[in-house]
Amino acid sequence: MAGADRVERLTNLLALLLETSRPLTLVEIAGELEGQYVGKESTRRAAFERDKAALREIGVPIETTVLSGDQAGVSGYWIDRDRYELTDLHLEADEMRALQVAVAAVRPTQGRQALWKLGLDTIDGDAAGDVAVTATVPELPGLPALRDASARRHTVAFDYRGKRRRLDPYGLLLRTGFWYVVGHDHEHDEARTYRVDRIEGAVEVEEGATFERPADVDLRAAFPSDPKELGPGEAGAVALVRVGARRAAGVERELGAARVLRRHADGAIDVEVPCANVPAFRSWVLGLLDHAEVLEPPEVRAAVVSWLTAMVGG
Amino acid sequence: MSAGRRTAEERLSRLLVMLPWLMEQGEVPLADVARRFGMSEADVARDLELAAMCGLPPFVDEMIDVFIDDDTVFVGVPRLFTRPLRLTAPEGFALVAAGRAAMQLPGADPDGPLGRGLGKLAAALGDDAVVVDLPIAPGLAATIEQLGDAVTAAARLRIEYWTPSRDETTERTITPRRVFNDRGEWYVVADDGRSGERRTFRVDRIESLDATGEHDTVQAIPAAEPERDWFADAGLRRVTLRLSPAARWVVERYPVDDIVERRGGAVDATFPVASERWLERLLVRLGPEAEVRKPAEWRSLGRDVARRVLARYAETGSGE
Repeated sequence: MAGADRVERLTNLLALLLETSRPLTLVEIAGELEGQYVGKESTRRAAFERDKAALREIGVPIETTVLSGDQAGVSGYWIDRDRYELTDLHLEADEMRALQVAVAAVRPTQGRQALWKLGLDTIDGDAAGDVAVTATVPELPGLPALRDASARRHTVAFDYRGKRRRLDPYGLLLRTGFWYVVGHDHEHDEARTYRVDRIEGAVEVEEGATFERPADVDLRAAFPSDPKELGPGEAGAVALVRVGARRAAGVERELGAARVLRRHADGAIDVEVPCANVPAFRSWVLGLLDHAEVLEPPEVRAAVVSWLTAMVGG
Repeated sequence: MSAGRRTAEERLSRLLVMLPWLMEQGEVPLADVARRFGMSEADVARDLELAAMCGLPPFVDEMIDVFIDDDTVFVGVPRLFTRPLRLTAPEGFALVAAGRAAMQLPGADPDGPLGRGLGKLAAALGDDAVVVDLPIAPGLAATIEQLGDAVTAAARLRIEYWTPSRDETTERTITPRRVFNDRGEWYVVADDGRSGERRTFRVDRIESLDATGEHDTVQAIPAAEPERDWFADAGLRRVTLRLSPAARWVVERYPVDDIVERRGGAVDATFPVASERWLERLLVRLGPEAEVRKPAEWRSLGRDVARRVLARYAETGSGE
């Protein structure tokens, strides 16, 4: 069966490249793995290239060098054991358990394979108590490369809205279900934030270009977590909103009791809401339909009224 | 999973995590190996036998000494593949993202085992600044904690729940099974005493919550995204909106059936509508940036709801 032969050949190739003390040429590899790379030069080369790609695909780092001396110009291959092997993390038992619980709570696609490498298994299904509270973390093809590049301080390049961008990725931020990459944009020469799900095609890690990450980078502050605070308006601007009894409890839970400035006898409350970003604020307040009304400031109230008037008139 | 469907890459990749573990254990029942690595016993036996054959001359002395006898896997002299292969970029990301997310869940302790474990992981994978932001609204923290405790104890709770589609608050008895965050919102999956079904509730719509003192059997349910189910329901009515470029975010936010590009960057998007009230809220927020194309009876919905909200402003008359 061809499948079995292939696994055997891949395992043998891996063993050979791990054990060798010097780079091996394809001719040498074919000689060592007798009967496994056969046929004419181009056939052998094609089979070897496929196998090399397969090993790299599963994460095996294969080193390549161009030899000199009597083999000048020929490529030699080997595996650096230090780069191949997993670094021992020296995890304590409770730390292992915590990672298992984290993986059970978030269930990333690659989580089980990652735990296996750490010598652990998943704990799905047998620990309701440990995973009572969980979170959905979206997975996107560009994320691993971006994380890797940010950890190794390598510049990345990608297409975004039809344009090529080069970015020094400081880090990744997941907020309200969207992954953002925050970094220094080369072309604009300023800090920029891009939505990772809008990156078109693959993320290219530029091996030759590195950067220093400023010590004071604060990803959470890359942009406000509340869109109502993000806007051209005065930072810290607030509006006063009256919320009817029906939605009062829900709004108070969302904003916190500290934002409630007045409580009315009929159960309505007056709350203070950030409004630096008027469209985001308008969207929030209109989401409450006729349970809410903007009281102040007059220009924000007028903006909401004219929005509604335009809808009625149109 | 049958052997025929597993690629050579998958099989080798599995072998490379299985062998170091087996070498550490020395001997393991074949059934345990199969269970742990999610394979059939036949597949495990086949792949291990293959691994045992590897290391052809002149590496005979470095053969992997693995054999299966009496349904037990024995490892003799471990030489090759004693250590697992390093984590790939996707595996590293999976661990880091899961760990960082778990650190944001209520009750996580930065100095606890998870924090320490993530620190060691960062030492190996590089300091990458992956931040998972799972904010809890100021008034929700206590509720989330209570719901989490109720999951652990399978405690039955009495709640008052606001349903936006009917704009009414109802009382129900629920047994929480899992609390989760998705796209910034908190949800609880619970067995609903009223319908007898497992349902997903939004935590911020729980108006009040009390223990009943009763308990059900503790159940672990798989993490999923059940709140999407009502969107996926083929029985829901559909609306077609013409969205201006400023309102295009709608197609990224909600599951759409169909998108047709129009002139000037506008699109016609068709998507399921959970309730008329939900559509009202969407339309009043989109205002002039959206227009109902179909069905005909919803064409004036946006205007009607705007008139209703405006009426509230006319009553007080302040600021106009």
